[in-house]
Amino acid sequence: MVFLRSEEHLARWLATNRFEAGATLTATKMSELSRLWWGSRLDAGWRPRAPQESQAILDSLGLSGEFWQL
Amino acid sequence: MEAVDLDVRRHVYFSIVANGRPPTVAETAAAFELDMLEMEESYRRLHDAHALVLHPDSVEVWMANPFCFTPTPHRVRAGGREWTGTCAWDALGIPAALHTDGEVDSECACCGEPVRLGVENSELVEGADLLVHILVPARRWWDDIGFT
Repeated sequence: MVFLRSEEHLARWLATNRFEAGATLTATKMSELSRLWWGSRLDAGWRPRAPQESQAILDSLGLSGEFWQL
Repeated sequence: MEAVDLDVRRHVYFSIVANGRPPTVAETAAAFELDMLEMEESYRRLHDAHALVLHPDSVEVWMANPFCFTPTPHRVRAGGREWTGTCAWDALGIPAALHTDGEVDSECACCGEPVRLGVENSELVEGADLLVHILVPARRWWDDIGFT
């Protein structure tokens, strides 16, 4: 999971490395996802999330479809 | 997950926040007054449950996501310390986990140019023009977490 400066840099990076494209998010969307995903990580009462709870976080940000299926 | 493993995990994470590094198995065993083998088994159960990531062939903590303990391009300043994020997602996850503002210094994966992101009051205030790319579909994230 890497940062890229632009769509052009993304396309060049994928081509140079012969990677199949996955999913691209804006940094703002990734920041929102990080807040929801990691925000409870240091809670004293932390428990492992059930897969459906993690899926609900992804769904809440519109990250749906085959790529985002846990 | 066994109650003792939850306690061990909490100890590891709280030690990371307090000391900037994960405790060794010996340190955690001493804190819990357990022997080394029992603590190694707990660390391995946490690894198998994806609650910690151990270095291959050892019981040292490699990642306690979003924190990483080997060098990566993703350096984070948050909560009065410098941290390393495993990846772009985890780098932004460190201020989120600490519930504090933070700055991420990283690089464009294509050209290597430095990039900076800033988080204030849980909002991204710098670096909003950047993109994040995820190569591996969610179902396969844990197949090779180092690559993911």
